[in-house]
Amino acid sequence: MQWRADDRLTRTIPSDPITRKGGEEGGPTAPKVSRPDVNDLLKRMKRVDPDQARRYRQRSGE
Amino acid sequence: MQRLVGLETEYGLYVEGKNPSELVFEAAEVVRSYNASTFASPWDYRREDPRKDARGFHVEYLQADPVDAQYDTEGTASACMSAETRSDRVLPNGARLYNDHGHPEYSTPECVSLRELVAHDRAGERIVWSCAQEYMRRTGLKVHIYKNNTDFHGASYGCHEGYLMRRSVPFEQIIRGMMPFFVTRILYAGAGKVGVETPGVFGDVPYQLSQRADFFSVEASVDTLYQRPIINTRDEPHATPSRYRRLHVICGDANMSEYATALKVGTTRLVAEMIETGWQPGIAIRNPVETIRRLSRDPQWKWNVELEDGRTMPAIEVLRLYLREAQSRFAHADTETQWLLMAWESTLDALERDPQQLADSIDWVAKRLLLEQFIESEGVDWKEPIVQSLDLAYHSIDPQDGLFAGLEQMGAVRRVVTDKDIERAMCHPPSSTRAWVRGTLVERYPQAISAITWSRVQLTFGEQAVTLDMHDWVTQRVPQKVQRLAKAHNLTEFVNTFRQLHASRKSEEEGGNQPCSGEQTTD
Repeated sequence: MQWRADDRLTRTIPSDPITRKGGEEGGPTAPKVSRPDVNDLLKRMKRVDPDQARRYRQRSGE
Repeated sequence: MQRLVGLETEYGLYVEGKNPSELVFEAAEVVRSYNASTFASPWDYRREDPRKDARGFHVEYLQADPVDAQYDTEGTASACMSAETRSDRVLPNGARLYNDHGHPEYSTPECVSLRELVAHDRAGERIVWSCAQEYMRRTGLKVHIYKNNTDFHGASYGCHEGYLMRRSVPFEQIIRGMMPFFVTRILYAGAGKVGVETPGVFGDVPYQLSQRADFFSVEASVDTLYQRPIINTRDEPHATPSRYRRLHVICGDANMSEYATALKVGTTRLVAEMIETGWQPGIAIRNPVETIRRLSRDPQWKWNVELEDGRTMPAIEVLRLYLREAQSRFAHADTETQWLLMAWESTLDALERDPQQLADSIDWVAKRLLLEQFIESEGVDWKEPIVQSLDLAYHSIDPQDGLFAGLEQMGAVRRVVTDKDIERAMCHPPSSTRAWVRGTLVERYPQAISAITWSRVQLTFGEQAVTLDMHDWVTQRVPQKVQRLAKAHNLTEFVNTFRQLHASRKSEEEGGNQPCSGEQTTD
């Protein structure tokens, strides 16, 4: 699968979500984690049990 | 008044090998797996009254879901939700963790800033996941935890929002002013769902905007478990009832995206403030219950709504009515509000132009694109079971398995807070609200706490029973009070300072200053 993540990052929205107060550390908008290969996400999706939603039953909550 | 906000998230729980009738017990076990060194309990339920309706009456009983009731048999944990089963834990960060009818629930502490709220909401995910990990280690059972609102088989559970408002605003005015907003905000606050759970009524579509839209059947009521309303009328202010009310919002989805959470809560808070001062949007949506479902399922993304006066209006234009008023009122407000106004406008612009531009910020768009790419890549159909399972996986809070978590790790979604903010929120309460008092007492003196709620902490202190009443700790002066309390070196000083603050408040009121807080320190 060709992951099109980069295509999705169209910056039409203010990129600095909430300005930090003075004195605090800078405000990155992306997590400081190493970026896994995009194929990792496909692998993650392929690991999902196809029957998980069918089996999933919950108590009614609020 | 501090414009306090909070989020309460009921998490979906799946324990391999367990059936729904066992979930109440297992959820309690997950909550009791919270293994940090300090927490406080018990929660004082005598102070709660979920049957009190904000429209001025009590209902005799709350409706129960008859399908769900089949899981309750005499003597089961869910048939008698004891304190032991609820397993309340009040945490050092001021949050509440407990078992709500088979769901681990995390309620954030009261916050003022959106950034703080988002950090505490994310902290809840990590705390609940750490509980699940400990439960798995202890029992050997595999657990999945989902931050979503449906099991795809007709059972829903909530992500509720709380907004402090002035009591002086009539509730009918709130209903009239908020209804068009709640019906239409799903365009950016919806978390997306594969399939429908009330088929045949408004069309069967493969994917819809909202997880919750299928579950509303009345416009306003006090119920939350069955026959759910768009606007909940529960009257539990958790603050001085004569002055304040809490708008208890149950119609929202649980958001994975930090950006969506900030936008949902931030815009709702602005609208609540506008309505509180008497503003009304000047429109009424015809049949809101039907409309929210139609909007959620509109396959063409035209999102038109019919108004009571016979006109048809795009839902985005309904939202722009609110936005324009907010822009005129709050354009010169603090930086956070200015960001919010810009984000709100640009989100509506993008929804109008091309919603797919919002794939890095709005959950229903992000998830839909992810699913579309899998469907295209693997040659499967929307109706195949794997697609609904992938929907579920999007909401998994397991950082190794969750699909949203995967997007976040790729840097493909916008952040509002840093991981450091979240780590801090896991251990520390907001410093500018009464949550600081609660969290600090839990952190420093957990053994002294004999009962606790949002607005009261009961201490067994030496030979005395002391209640610190914070019903009126919702004013602009709370940060100053917190600074005074922070100087206390021990519990005696803490309690004495609290008493002094109470006494000084009384003298200020007698001197004709603006009323501050009416907390009553009972000893």
